[in-house]
Amino acid sequence: MSAPAASLSRIELSRPRAARLGWLRERGMGASVLVSALAAAFGVILVEVTAYIGGMLQSDPFIGDSEMLALVVMILSVLLVAVAMYVAAIVTANTFSTIIAGRTRRIALMRLIGASARSQRAEVTSQGLVVGMIGAAIGLFAGVGFSAVGMLVGEALLGRTPETFTLVQPGVLFPVVGVALTTWLAAWIGSRRVLAVTPLQALGGSVERTHDDEAGRRGKHIGALVLIVVGVALLVAGVMLGLISPLGVVVAFFGGLFSFTGLATASPLFMPPVLRLVGRLFGRGATARLAAENALRYPERSSRMAIGVVMGVALVTMFAVAMESAKALMMRQSEGEFVDDFFAPMDAFASIMMVLVAVSAVIAAVGLVNLLTIGVVQRRRELGLLRAIGLTSAQVRRMVLLEAVHITVAATLTGLVLGIAYGWIAAQSLLGSVPVLPDFEPAGLVYPAVPWVPVVAIVAATALLTVVAAVTPTRLATRVAPVEALAAD
Amino acid sequence: MEITTSDLGLAARVQHLTKTYGAGAAGVRALDDVSVGIRRGQFTAIMGPSGSGKSTLMHIMAGLDAPTEGRAWIGDTEITGLGDLEMTILRRRRVGFIFQAFNLVPTLDAIGNILLPFELDGRQPTAIERARIDSLVERLGLASRLTHRPHELSGGQQQRVAIARALATAPDLVFADEPTGNLDSRSGREVLELLATASREHGQSIAMVTHDAIAASHADRVLFLGDGRITADHPNQSAEQIAAHMLAAEVAA
Repeated sequence: MSAPAASLSRIELSRPRAARLGWLRERGMGASVLVSALAAAFGVILVEVTAYIGGMLQSDPFIGDSEMLALVVMILSVLLVAVAMYVAAIVTANTFSTIIAGRTRRIALMRLIGASARSQRAEVTSQGLVVGMIGAAIGLFAGVGFSAVGMLVGEALLGRTPETFTLVQPGVLFPVVGVALTTWLAAWIGSRRVLAVTPLQALGGSVERTHDDEAGRRGKHIGALVLIVVGVALLVAGVMLGLISPLGVVVAFFGGLFSFTGLATASPLFMPPVLRLVGRLFGRGATARLAAENALRYPERSSRMAIGVVMGVALVTMFAVAMESAKALMMRQSEGEFVDDFFAPMDAFASIMMVLVAVSAVIAAVGLVNLLTIGVVQRRRELGLLRAIGLTSAQVRRMVLLEAVHITVAATLTGLVLGIAYGWIAAQSLLGSVPVLPDFEPAGLVYPAVPWVPVVAIVAATALLTVVAAVTPTRLATRVAPVEALAAD
Repeated sequence: MEITTSDLGLAARVQHLTKTYGAGAAGVRALDDVSVGIRRGQFTAIMGPSGSGKSTLMHIMAGLDAPTEGRAWIGDTEITGLGDLEMTILRRRRVGFIFQAFNLVPTLDAIGNILLPFELDGRQPTAIERARIDSLVERLGLASRLTHRPHELSGGQQQRVAIARALATAPDLVFADEPTGNLDSRSGREVLELLATASREHGQSIAMVTHDAIAASHADRVLFLGDGRITADHPNQSAEQIAAHMLAAEVAA
């Protein structure tokens, strides 16, 4: 047994390097590199921006000695990096499970000729690490480069750079290493499906599985529900504690992390009803119904991809709402008088944060492209059948676009609701204890304020992302010829 | 005035049809100057060994593929030179399809699949069509299965749903491609009898591609193809006669 294995690994070693990295050209791998690069660059830029803003605040005559604000900025940036890596990890895990779906035949063949499921999974997982390292390296260079440009722009606009700020921040190593590791982890989680591939699936004619079997997933959902309950409890505790100390936001942060992780894990439980509801809005036309059904065909996959968009939208909304609520509170503090000097850095900070958070939405959009593409690739025969019995090219285009719209509308609605809730909790738990005029009593209730401009911008941006994300899958889908319905396999 | 397909008593026909794949020495001539018609109201089997061109002929006759040379008609409509959109709408309204496997859209229930050609056309079936569908559902024994999804149906039931869909629009022609290839012999026989009944009692024109002699023996007429040409054309063949013919062709090749 060990002798053939040894000779096999010798063959492996003697293969040219290009061939050994050939899998990087596979569908989905490029997207995963892009996602991890985006996440790493995002983290790097964030560390730089945090340091920059920290420097700015320190040298600002108005709020110079506010240690509280410096702490808030710190907490926010840790939160942002964590969330970005989280979104990237979910998208990567999804991408890897779709890569596995595309490779099923090959994995089955390897299993047929004697490879173990675990060795097959290990191969996929190690590819995840390579993808993560490549992406993290690209992200590091891109992030530092972008920050350098940003610093120059900042200098040109503000006429100065905080003396304490330098581009060389050791903190950038956290997101870079973190992204490489989370991509590795995500590939491991996403490759779970390898274990389910049977050698029999290599012997053609295997029936296409129409429904993910949800059996055996109960345990995971119970875990998710526990996370949600604990998370919500922490959110409540954070709001309460926030009435006494701004550290309430730390408790609320973990509450948010737990509850959102729970929601994301249990998304196959609660996203399908939302998707079904949105599907009903499309009407009863044939293409609309087909699109609505397609989005629910693999409820787990659609839900996870939708949750990627939900995160992006929820984050942007959360920041917009938190900022607006904080601003409303400070307006109260200054008794309705505008102190422009005070709000200028706040607004700049808010815009920068919004733009940075929007990166998560872009990462989620990459996930959406993957979802739609794999959907088209796996349904070639069905598309061929539909074309044969009379679905026109225009109807195919409409169907794929509607599938994308379906997911993003459901995700945007969910994201807006969650974002407003989390944003208010963030503002409440952070600022509930801040003393306000006239008598410097703690603020108590921070009124949730929903800024309509960012909300409209979010809706417009997701609409744009949907259309852009649908371009490639639509082109793939319209290329399917009716004869493909008859292909032997 | 040109003689039309219907004047000839045909549901579909092709004239001097040639189809080549690739070019030059590597080129393959799948069809070589084939002229043939499918008679109206008849159940025609198209037989031949693998690579004989039977599938290519069917694809072109059904408007799924374009010929290299020659002309094809469905009813009185010439389909060669039609654009993708016209061709798609023509298939939707005037051709029915039954494939070997993967006939049904997995996300739609049985009745949804049967009504799909109408829905793609953006309309509801008329009262007459509705009555036709009801009687089809009755005849095919699908009444209790209409709200089942394909994965809840047996292979034979799935194939019967496909037959119902193919016949629902009363198309000029139904094309069946190895419709029994994935079925056990009993379900296969049922499907073939249903097709034969549809043509005998309801005047439906059907063309079936198969390499199964028993399947072909249910047809009114058997066309044999070999090397891209029609090699024989016989009415009412028994399975033994068909098998003997096929064997002789194999030996001669």
